[in-house]
Amino acid sequence: MINRILTMVRKELIDAARDKRSVMAGLYYAIGTPLMMCGMFMMLISQLTSPDDLNIHIQNPDKAPDLVKFLASSGINNGASSETPGLKVKEIYLTIADDYPEQMAKGLRAEVTLVADNSNEKLQKSISRLKKQLQAYASEMGSLRLIARGIDPRVVQPLKVVVEDQATADSKGGIILGFAIFTMIYAVFISGMNLAIDTSAGERERNSLALLLSHPISTWQLVMSKIISVTIFAMLGLALILIVSKIAYAFVPWQELGFAVNINPSFMLVMLAVGFPVAIMAAATQLFVSFMAKSFKEAQSYLTIVLLLPAALALAASYDIAPDTLQWLPVSGQQQALMAYVKGREIPLVQLAVSSLATLGIALALTFGLERSLKSEKIVFGL
Amino acid sequence: MIKVSNLSKKIGDVQALDDLSFTAEDGKITGLLGPNGAGKTTCLRTVFGLLKADTGKAEINGIDVAKSPIQAKQELGLFPDPFGLYERLTPREYISFFAELSGLNRQQAKEATSQVIHKLHLADIADRRCKGFSQGQRMKTALAQAIVHEPGNIILDEPTRGLDVMSTRVLRDLLQDLKTQGHCILFSSHVMQEVAALCDQVIVMANGKVVAKGSPDELCQQTGKASLEDAFIQLIGTDEGIAA
Repeated sequence: MINRILTMVRKELIDAARDKRSVMAGLYYAIGTPLMMCGMFMMLISQLTSPDDLNIHIQNPDKAPDLVKFLASSGINNGASSETPGLKVKEIYLTIADDYPEQMAKGLRAEVTLVADNSNEKLQKSISRLKKQLQAYASEMGSLRLIARGIDPRVVQPLKVVVEDQATADSKGGIILGFAIFTMIYAVFISGMNLAIDTSAGERERNSLALLLSHPISTWQLVMSKIISVTIFAMLGLALILIVSKIAYAFVPWQELGFAVNINPSFMLVMLAVGFPVAIMAAATQLFVSFMAKSFKEAQSYLTIVLLLPAALALAASYDIAPDTLQWLPVSGQQQALMAYVKGREIPLVQLAVSSLATLGIALALTFGLERSLKSEKIVFGL
Repeated sequence: MIKVSNLSKKIGDVQALDDLSFTAEDGKITGLLGPNGAGKTTCLRTVFGLLKADTGKAEINGIDVAKSPIQAKQELGLFPDPFGLYERLTPREYISFFAELSGLNRQQAKEATSQVIHKLHLADIADRRCKGFSQGQRMKTALAQAIVHEPGNIILDEPTRGLDVMSTRVLRDLLQDLKTQGHCILFSSHVMQEVAALCDQVIVMANGKVVAKGSPDELCQQTGKASLEDAFIQLIGTDEGIAA
């Protein structure tokens, strides 16, 4: 009984390992995706952490050398005075009034005019950055004037707003890692897919299904062996993507973001454990769908549509869409639990258990369906 | 021994099998002869329990296929049409895989595979992957698969299709050999020569029914014709779908 299943699993794995299409599909995904993610993170980090110098047009800079120096210290430069050729100067004009020095000296309001197209979205960030710096300069000057008059500047600042960022380093990385986790869970679906098609629709296409069934094996043994084989492939894909991610993510300069995305052995173990039921469900789903198809190509086109569903669930979970419902559902529940683990929060065990059980329940139902369909003359012979 | 009694099976609107009864004895080669579409393949698939008969039953060595399919299939070897080879496996792996499925353990399967490879002169291709095999090489591999576990009953579906003279000879010799060892051999064919040359008993089928049975000589006598071909045409009433 068990021997026959083992025999069939061994044969499936040998067969699949020699099938370039099956192996490559898993490999490309498991190796390519972490590298792609790393590239994306690096781009993101370089954008977030080192804001480019903002070059604007400052008119009359010699009237307010102190203000110009203050702006330059926060990376806002007068592009007009720069001699670097090809320097990108934004269409923001800061005009310092002619009477600026006199007004400042008298302790009155000195006028600076900011001219820019506020409807231009690309400029908005730069404009608000400039405004913030101007306000900072103004309040600094204001405080100095009060002190010169013997008044505590705190008198005019009745509110002191203290912002404490509660986000730990890891929880900030969670959003990014949410997507990374999605790509890992999805590996389970991608890695086994070609084998699932080859061993079901392919078996029909090659006419070997009827031969298999004419041997003294039960349809249960056949279904179990196929699910086991595809699950093994899916888990190998998951293990591979974890290993590649571990190596690749080490090259991302996380420290510049102020948090670390760390794929440590304990995360890898949790991921494998949580991913296992998903892998079984993926195997059962893919086999069930592709046994309906008569040829490899037909199965491929069905599966492309079917695989949108787990992708949608996992993505919805990583973007926090309807989190209360999704935490109980298959795939999205596991995704949320893994994200919680990554953010250093407690894993929602009840939800994880429910969604894992739901996952296994679907797998079991599909296994029953598969077993039934293999008894159907329509599926086996296409009658 | 393969015994089929009162089998009826409807596929779609077609009555594929219509109250079909016959017996294939041990130590004899029984030919299932009929034009294309007579129901030969449907009949063989029902014997394997792959199709469920509407009425009637098929028995292998007295075991009802519908009731205990696993035990019944244990006694059977199938040479299918089409072959259903796994192109990425070598014949040795392929044959030994099916030997294990038929109930042999790994060691036994390996030994049996080596023997059958020797018997069918497959040694030169035994460790090459099946992809790109010629029709003859495919036939031998499939045949080896059918007999590797030495089943008491061997069923061959259109075994000589697409074979050259040499391969047909190998097949014939092997079938004669198995017959003398006391195996029950049932094969379907629409090729007259092959049936005349090999069979001890011929079952002529048309439209899912048995039209006549007997040895080739008896069939000729029954119809008063000199050749099996003429007898056959007389029996089924047309020469449509028959290869000389």
